[in-house]
Amino acid sequence: MTFDQRLAAIRAAMKQQRIDVLVAVHDGAHFIETPNPVFVLTGFKSIGPAAVLLARDDAAQLIVTPTWDADRAGEDRPQVRVHAADDVVSGLAAALEQTRARMGIAGVGFTRFELASRVLELVPHAVTADDIVFDAAATKTDEEIANAREATRIAELGYQRMLELARPGLSEDELAVELRWYTKTLGAEDNFVLLCAGARNPAVAPSNGRVMREGDILIAEITPSYRGQLAQICRTVTLGRAADELKDKYELLVQAMQAGIAAAIPGAAMGQVCQAMNAVLEAAGYGEYCHPPHIRRRGHGLGFGSIRPGDVSLDNATMLQADMLFMIHPNQHLPQTGYLLCGEPVLLRAQGAEPLTQCQSALAEIGG
Amino acid sequence: MLTMQTTLLVGPADWQPARMPKEVFLERIESVWKANPHASGLIVYGDRAHHADLTYLTHFTPKLEAALALIPRDGEAQLLVGGGVNMLQAARPLTYIEELRPLRDVGKSVRAWAQQHDGTLILIGGALMPYPMRQELDETLGKADDQTAHLRVRMRRKDRHELAAIREACACLDAAVKAMRTARRRGDAGTAVVLAGEHAAQQRGAQDVRSLFSSDGGRSLRPFEAPIEHSRDPLLVYLAVRQLGYWAEAFVLLSSTAKSSHGGTDAVPSDVLAAVTDMLKPGERCADVAKALARLGMSVPSVAIGHYGNGIGLALEEQPAITPSSEDVLAPGDVLSMHVQLSGREAPIVSAMVALGASATEVLWSSSASFQ
Repeated sequence: MTFDQRLAAIRAAMKQQRIDVLVAVHDGAHFIETPNPVFVLTGFKSIGPAAVLLARDDAAQLIVTPTWDADRAGEDRPQVRVHAADDVVSGLAAALEQTRARMGIAGVGFTRFELASRVLELVPHAVTADDIVFDAAATKTDEEIANAREATRIAELGYQRMLELARPGLSEDELAVELRWYTKTLGAEDNFVLLCAGARNPAVAPSNGRVMREGDILIAEITPSYRGQLAQICRTVTLGRAADELKDKYELLVQAMQAGIAAAIPGAAMGQVCQAMNAVLEAAGYGEYCHPPHIRRRGHGLGFGSIRPGDVSLDNATMLQADMLFMIHPNQHLPQTGYLLCGEPVLLRAQGAEPLTQCQSALAEIGG
Repeated sequence: MLTMQTTLLVGPADWQPARMPKEVFLERIESVWKANPHASGLIVYGDRAHHADLTYLTHFTPKLEAALALIPRDGEAQLLVGGGVNMLQAARPLTYIEELRPLRDVGKSVRAWAQQHDGTLILIGGALMPYPMRQELDETLGKADDQTAHLRVRMRRKDRHELAAIREACACLDAAVKAMRTARRRGDAGTAVVLAGEHAAQQRGAQDVRSLFSSDGGRSLRPFEAPIEHSRDPLLVYLAVRQLGYWAEAFVLLSSTAKSSHGGTDAVPSDVLAAVTDMLKPGERCADVAKALARLGMSVPSVAIGHYGNGIGLALEEQPAITPSSEDVLAPGDVLSMHVQLSGREAPIVSAMVALGASATEVLWSSSASFQ
């Protein structure tokens, strides 16, 4: 799918729902868990709050703040009319020009209150239209797929760098900072580097000043963004020799991941992918640990634009289609080991899920 | 200054009691109670993108998901941390608050807490909450007394602990600028220069680093999107460094040679800097300072969004703003980030971090001193 084809699909959905103008907003606070309709509609990752006006029969209009970011917004997007504004709501008001068209609105639920409430005051009769935007973005465009491949390549290089750097005496913060800088030198404009270490981690959490020690289990989600498209790898490393029990439990997770990958085929429901992973753990006696509060999902979509097809969870009935991109990660807390990470980004093809990584998860030892 | 927001904050943010004692935070909270004798509690919101208010009162930096502090007039404060119960262990070193709980069911949590504290509840940061969270809170509390603006007035006055942190941020900024200058002089261009500065700051323990650079002679700035190997000469870079919670920022013009293409140097003449800082005195109206700078022929850089300078501290942009229409008056305790452009589109930008004392103005960092 190309970007233009996706936009055509969105316009078709607008027509079906009798929406003449779609208003999309984003407050500029980019987050891995939050979809961005402005990015979906324009491919533009904004510095400040931004909005898009998409009419059914006209070019998209992009309102950008701060004003000096307008030139960047216009690059490579000749099909979009860019308006610079000091204030995005004022810019949106000017672009709307008191239209009487039937309007839909997307992104309000993910936006900060001050911005959302002003936009809703501006378009009080707009109907919620998030699904129009994000349904069409459930599959990735060719460009997004190419960017995901590059982001994955960067993630794997970042992991190799992590293996070089991690050592007792280094703090979690120092490692996370260095890793993010390193992947930036490789072209990742951002990186969701969630890593922590301990003898037994209760979960993967943001790094803090804790100094790593011999014997720690270091768990890391390395998630570079390349041109606004995230890809993630989930890895587990021991500082020192890994105990045999840990190796056995990690192998269990790898088997669960492989089962999930095998189950991810077009036409299957996402819940079935989750169930396939659960089945491996349940067979090993860990059924209790396959549900909250121990885990809530076994993967997720990858933004920054759209995060569809959503969580890899039992209750997700989304039918899988080719060109969907998501994480398969049976990250799991086990009583013997604590939380372990194991996961790959996969692209759904006609014949099944293709992991984007060259080297898949394996327990690594530093100095072991 | 607006910069590209990151999806996750990484970087040292642990609470260091020796640098910022618990008493500092308790005094700040006490000042809120003194100004609001009928208030029984504070509700303070913060997230990755906006958390200056929350950090001011709790030291906490929400690295991943949002957080909500519930601070009673009587009793112990609690911090509700987003992301689930398993995030609490990682969050604990970042604050002096000992009672940490997961942030969920905001309405229910706040209602249960509010019922124990009879009186007016003060809300800080409510405008920054996600829309659904704020709706839930409003349904629970009705119209809360939003005092964010009042708190931000208090945040202007930096105490000695804050000044010490800002001085460290300035030292880190200086190291980063010097690293970028070295990179530029050895022939690095574009994003390699910026990355050299970021790395130098991070190796000095910076909590966060934000950068922008110009590829059109200062008309606009752009964030890092992909490596760029070529750049104009001189290269205009904006860099902001955060250390111990506090920001320092600068615009710097970096030439590949000691003499730039416009005949000047990277350095800003020290008499220009003196002319700017001489105007910054307690009691001076910000509007008068702005008008005086304009009379000297100095303009607002086109990328500075309409003001010659602003307060800076836990946030990159705080009160006051140095604009012709500002009603603010400079006061002791203000720390300002100044940025004025000499005449000519590619002329150097004077950047300076300035602390106003009761009887003296201290230049904490300047683009003049940095190139000596």
